[in-house]
Amino acid sequence: MKKKIFKRFLRDKRAITPVFSHLLLTVVAVAIMSLATSATFVITTNMKETMGERVVVEDVWFNGATGTVNVYLRNVGKADIQISGVYVNHVGQSFNENASRLQVNKQGWLSIACSWEAGKAYYIDIVTNRGTHIADYYKAP
Amino acid sequence: MLSLVLVVIIVGNVVLRSYQMNQVDLERTQETLTIANVTRMEPAGLSIEVKNTGAVSLHLVAVWVSDSTEHQRYDADVFLNAGESVTYNRTDIALPQGAFLAKVVTERGNIAVFSED
Repeated sequence: MKKKIFKRFLRDKRAITPVFSHLLLTVVAVAIMSLATSATFVITTNMKETMGERVVVEDVWFNGATGTVNVYLRNVGKADIQISGVYVNHVGQSFNENASRLQVNKQGWLSIACSWEAGKAYYIDIVTNRGTHIADYYKAP
Repeated sequence: MLSLVLVVIIVGNVVLRSYQMNQVDLERTQETLTIANVTRMEPAGLSIEVKNTGAVSLHLVAVWVSDSTEHQRYDADVFLNAGESVTYNRTDIALPQGAFLAKVVTERGNIAVFSED
């Protein structure tokens, strides 16, 4: 049955009507441009947010009482940030996940579970989910 | 045609954001400040002399007082014009006995530090 219909379709020499062809062309054009617009929007939104990320480290506290390294961060950019990773001397460390999200103009302590020795310098690298690095050397007192 | 206009608007928005962020970075690099002195007030509190040595006005948003056992942040709200000095007094901040580190933080994220041994 299906084969018959297909054969009849192939044998049919009549073209589609001009109205239908115009309609088809319009639909295809609109679909392609909608796709292009959506893609541009998605790509540029991500770019805009990445460009707008600015974070400053106000304070680093090598806390002897808790044995952690506490970093006070402030979001001075134009996009919310989410901390996705923390590296101390290029080694990944665990940190308090609940304080890892900072809205614009907000600040808070990021507690890094990492052992440290007095007098030694540590390279602390904080990475956001968009790939921004906030890194510097800090010496434990 | 409408899609083309939309794409141009979206891309224009990104260019605008890039310009904005360049402006933010430029202003941040132009902003410089120093703490001339930190003194203990009687009967309680501290007094910080801050000088805006930069070419742009600044907004102090925080004061930090740290020693070996405690790092404490206090919210602040002080505006300084370019070249202006101000003595910022706080009766609610107690300076620790012995060595301490005092910091002031601006809204743009710059920090001035003063240490007392």
